[in-house]
Order: sequence, then structure tokens, then C-alpha cells
Amino acid sequence: MLPLSLLKTAQRHAVLVELKNGETYNGYLQQCDTWMNLHLSEVICTSKDGQRFFKMPEVYIRGNTIKYISVPEERSGQQVAVGAAAGAAGRSAAAARQLAGQQEEAAVGGARAGEVRLDCIGIAVGSDWQAD
Amino acid sequence: MLQEVPLPGTALAEELDQRLLIVLRDGRKLLGVLRSFDQFANLVVEGAVERIIVGEQYGDIPLGLQVIRGENVVLLGRVDEGKDAPEGLTQVSPAAIKEALRGEKELNKLKGTLRARMDFLDLE
Repeated sequence: MLPLSLLKTAQRHAVLVELKNGETYNGYLQQCDTWMNLHLSEVICTSKDGQRFFKMPEVYIRGNTIKYISVPEERSGQQVAVGAAAGAAGRSAAAARQLAGQQEEAAVGGARAGEVRLDCIGIAVGSDWQAD
Repeated sequence: MLQEVPLPGTALAEELDQRLLIVLRDGRKLLGVLRSFDQFANLVVEGAVERIIVGEQYGDIPLGLQVIRGENVVLLGRVDEGKDAPEGLTQVSPAAIKEALRGEKELNKLKGTLRARMDFLDLE
């Protein structure tokens, strides 16, 4: 799964965003777009030195200020692995050569399973998402 | 041998599902499995761990699943699965390594000018 797609599936989950200036923002991801601009809610901002904390109801972060985004692993882990198998098979000839024949078939099947799981995520969001 | 050199656009594809060491512009070293990337070299890294090395000690801080914005990456490369622990270094807990890092930063503040000349890097 592409990085920005993974971000889209993380909507309404808690994320940690670190900016280039070292500040970290913990909050629920409401929206993201193709430029990685983020809209977060219920945000706690931690200063670079880790000493000062600010709580904000809403925050808009411009994509080009982001260093990285941490995403909860529980749900996305499965989708990421499936997406990687499909991506590896489809993306480069070199990677495809290395993959055994049966792995490619599994990846194609996996891609379909991945799509199904994305639909499930859409339904499951909004209810409790404790790890299974 | 020459025809094995990958093109810049597809070079990252060969690193998929590999355990990598990624160095960021702020000097951080992350280890993790590369799961996907895009045309900007934004990366998805699973099981990411930040390795902090202070003197003879190192500590791993678990970070989970990460989306790294491509422009912050300096370089990345594969690490041997078997040889994960660096030789000659002892592993300590995350809390201990953070203390050691704080101590080193204080020391560097005293050293002053030499680090100030390195300000073309994005180090803290």
C-alpha cells in the first residue's frame, strides 16, 4: 500500500506527527490529502525539548513541514503486509524475478483480500478498535 | 556486473520487505522493514525502531508503523538480519540511553564552536 494510502486508512485513528522543527503532535487524524496536509483533532503538542505541552481541539498541519507520522500498528499491519506482497510483485521486474511463481499468485490473491479488508476498515471505524 | 545497477526510479523496489537502516536529515537512525514507497520516496516502515548510540552504549526505542516523508531521508541500506547488534556496543534500556543522550548534549553545548560550524546539517 502506498504511503499516502496508508495515511488515508489511518483516518480517525490516533497518530503521532513529528515536524521538521522537532515538535510532536498527538491526535486523531481527521483528514489528509495528496500533499500530506493533515487535519487532527484533540491534539497534544509537545515542544522540541519535550518539556512543554499544549492541548488543542483542532490542528491543521501543512504537509511539507512533516518529518514523519507514526500510525497505530494493530489494524494497518495486516493491510501493509498484503500491500507489500502485491506491490513487490507488480512494481519492479527485478523483484518479480526474485519472487517464486506461487508467491506471485498469492500476492494477486492477497491484493484482492487487501481490498476487502480496506472495506472492512471503513465499516469498523467508529466502533471500538481494540486489537483483536 | 554493470547491468545489475538499478535505475533511480525503481531502486527502492529492491529494498521492499527488507530490514533497513534509514538515516534522517536530523541525524536519527531508524531501523525497520520497508513496506512501501512512492515517487517522492516517502516510506512506510514497519516495526520501526530508533537506535540511539552514545559512546559504547546503544538503545532501541520502538516506534511501530511509520510513514516517513521522503525529503527527510538522507540514505538507507540493508542491515544483516543476523548481525543486528552492533559489535563492541552494549545495549541499554530506552530510558538509560535517553539519559546518556541528554548528558552528551550538555557536553556538546560546552564544546560550542566546533558544532556550530556544522550548522549546514539539520542536527538538533
